[in-house]
Amino acid sequence: MRRFIIQLFIFCLLSLSVISLIFLKADGYTDPFYIRFTTSKQKNLILGTSRAAQGIQPRFFKEMMDVDIYNYSFTIGQSPYGRTYLESIKRKHNRNEKDGLFILAVDPWCISSKNENPNDSTRFRENNLCLGNTTIVNMKPNFQYLFNNFSGKYFDLLFNRKKTSMFLHTNGWLEVTARMDTAVVKERIDYKVKIYREKNLTRYKFSSVRFDYLKKTILYLREYGKVYLVRLPMHEKIMEIEKELMPDFNTKITGLIPLSDGYFDMTPYNEKYEYTDGNHLYKESGELVTREIIHWIKTQ
Amino acid sequence: MLFNSVDFAIFLPIVFILYWFFINKNIKLQNLLIVAASYVFYGWWDWRFLSLIILSTVIDYGVGLKLKGEDRIFRRKVLLWISITFNLGILGFFKYYNFFIENFTTAFSFFGAEIKPNTLNLILPIGISFYTFQTLSYTIDVYKRKIQPTRDVIAFAAFVGFFPQLVAGPIERAANLLPQFHSKRKFDYAKAVDGMRQILWGLFKKIVIADNCAEYVNLIFSNSTDFSGTTLVLGAILFAFQVYGDFSGYSDIAIGTARLFGFNLMKNFDFPYFSRDIAEFWRRWHISLITWFRDYLYIPLGGSRGTTLNKIRNVFIIFIVSGFWHGANWNYVMWGVLNAIYLLPLMLRKSNRNHIEIVAKGKHYPSLKELASILFTFSIATFAMIIFRTETLSHSMQYISDMFKFSPSQIPWQGDMNYSTTLILVFVFIIIEWFGREGEYAIEKMGLNWPKVVRWLFYISITVITFLFSGTEKEFFYFQF
Repeated sequence: MRRFIIQLFIFCLLSLSVISLIFLKADGYTDPFYIRFTTSKQKNLILGTSRAAQGIQPRFFKEMMDVDIYNYSFTIGQSPYGRTYLESIKRKHNRNEKDGLFILAVDPWCISSKNENPNDSTRFRENNLCLGNTTIVNMKPNFQYLFNNFSGKYFDLLFNRKKTSMFLHTNGWLEVTARMDTAVVKERIDYKVKIYREKNLTRYKFSSVRFDYLKKTILYLREYGKVYLVRLPMHEKIMEIEKELMPDFNTKITGLIPLSDGYFDMTPYNEKYEYTDGNHLYKESGELVTREIIHWIKTQ
Repeated sequence: MLFNSVDFAIFLPIVFILYWFFINKNIKLQNLLIVAASYVFYGWWDWRFLSLIILSTVIDYGVGLKLKGEDRIFRRKVLLWISITFNLGILGFFKYYNFFIENFTTAFSFFGAEIKPNTLNLILPIGISFYTFQTLSYTIDVYKRKIQPTRDVIAFAAFVGFFPQLVAGPIERAANLLPQFHSKRKFDYAKAVDGMRQILWGLFKKIVIADNCAEYVNLIFSNSTDFSGTTLVLGAILFAFQVYGDFSGYSDIAIGTARLFGFNLMKNFDFPYFSRDIAEFWRRWHISLITWFRDYLYIPLGGSRGTTLNKIRNVFIIFIVSGFWHGANWNYVMWGVLNAIYLLPLMLRKSNRNHIEIVAKGKHYPSLKELASILFTFSIATFAMIIFRTETLSHSMQYISDMFKFSPSQIPWQGDMNYSTTLILVFVFIIIEWFGREGEYAIEKMGLNWPKVVRWLFYISITVITFLFSGTEKEFFYFQF
């Protein structure tokens, strides 16, 4: 019996070692989130949803401010402000360092919920998604993430890669490559606007719980450095929908500005930039926006 | 609980450790643990239906004991019919009630009578077709005085509910399994290692072969009108490997798990796709069910004795009932009929037992004639499986007629998906099965003479490949029966 158990144990260990080696192949093509759970704890963070994930590029902070900042933004489904996101931020944040830089992207969606009761945090969908079920956020390979969240077959980690138009950089920036000819972009924008108008606008409601958590997130991060709030630009048609969703968004945010080190509303310059689908900045515009943010921070 | 789930990966070691480390000196406690574990295993799916297993256990246990002390033929028959009525009654109610109601309604409407069908929203209890047949065989064997009834209710409950084979077989006979619950079990290293090896191979069949094939099979069968003839042929072939990998994989895991606990279950699949005729195929496919029907239906009906008409009738009955056992659907019945038609010429020419031994025994390769026979048998078995897989008879007909719009120059549809990996895996699988065909399962003896390092590398490779292909847990195909 002892022989059987020992041999079985060794067999499992060897098999697991090989599987670990295969898991090491997981990279920025694996999915749009995995890499963010494999890097070390961070002193400086960019937070928000997919707009920030695609729009704010950390490499320019290094270039222009000599700051290593990490983009820990996900999507509107994964990372609206709330308990789940705050807990995950705390796990990712290196509390041993002070003088950090934190950029929080804000918009009406990230303080809203599409639940019937927008304040019932037990039913927030992010609770069961990757931020909710991955308690270890700095392990490579991250078994917990891959076991719980990797969709498809692990075989795809070895093959079938690089077929996606998305690549998640090790600094957390999600690079999206898309055709940008006018007709295609218009089609994507029209589709996105339709979805936002018909599906999102009718369901999303302001959540005071999420708003409180945005406040808590700011207060937590303020202990470790400077916190800046940024409202990223978007296509005018999406902007119209946001205005309908939350006409008093600016008033709401004004209440939070004193808790932070400043608020930069970039929506007056919406027309200056290019968007892949109306909601997300194209990478070249993302670079411009990132540089604008850096300039603004420097003036603060 | 699924064999290919994390839940089972936790459950099995717990039961194993309790079984061999804590209560290994006491058979009664071991049996009690098996009963408890089996009920947890089953209840994980839906605890409400445990009551059916318990009721079936109590009734057949009671009937068995009553039969022992009863010599009057009439009373013995009554007792037997109590068991048959109960077991087939629950099976009929859950599985066939709606089917009969709907068909009666259709039949009456045909004659102009309008009937409002009173169908029920029934859930089919998982494994019901398997455990009812197992417990029924006990009562019939006791009635026929082939076995003595047991007085040990725990051992009997363990026999009925034994978790490795509870939900999808092999459908065991009391004569084989029940005595094992009465005898002392000693941990046997070789047997346990063999069990693990068989579990590993079963998981490989299920996760790597069946689940991979299923992706394309589901797509092709669900949209069959959109595809070319060659794609439909490919879909049918992949389905043949899906259903074999799925069901024989389940059986391997079940047999291997039972071996970990010191039990020997009967073989359920014996490399059926290497059969040289359809009679051999049916001796190698779902053996526990086919022998059940042979012993409790075919032979009592007269088997291959009697007039030609009787032989024909018996062959059709056994195949139609076998088809119907799979589910309340005319497709299964037609699948049975088609297989009876395949078998009939062999039966009537008395050449149905020409191939008893495995093909090319002791040789590396088959002769050309053997290869041709194997391919022919596989083709007709696969053809029948189209009827098995499609949802309605009209869909079957559509699929088959579209399949013959066949142009050899047409490459099967690929679209966004690359099925070449699946085809390579199926090819490798066939090679391994071929070279392992003389064993109880393909990798039973494979590598036993290799250096230990190479053997371990082989097993680790299978484990890793199986893991790499695992994704969302998928139910076993035969659970629906």
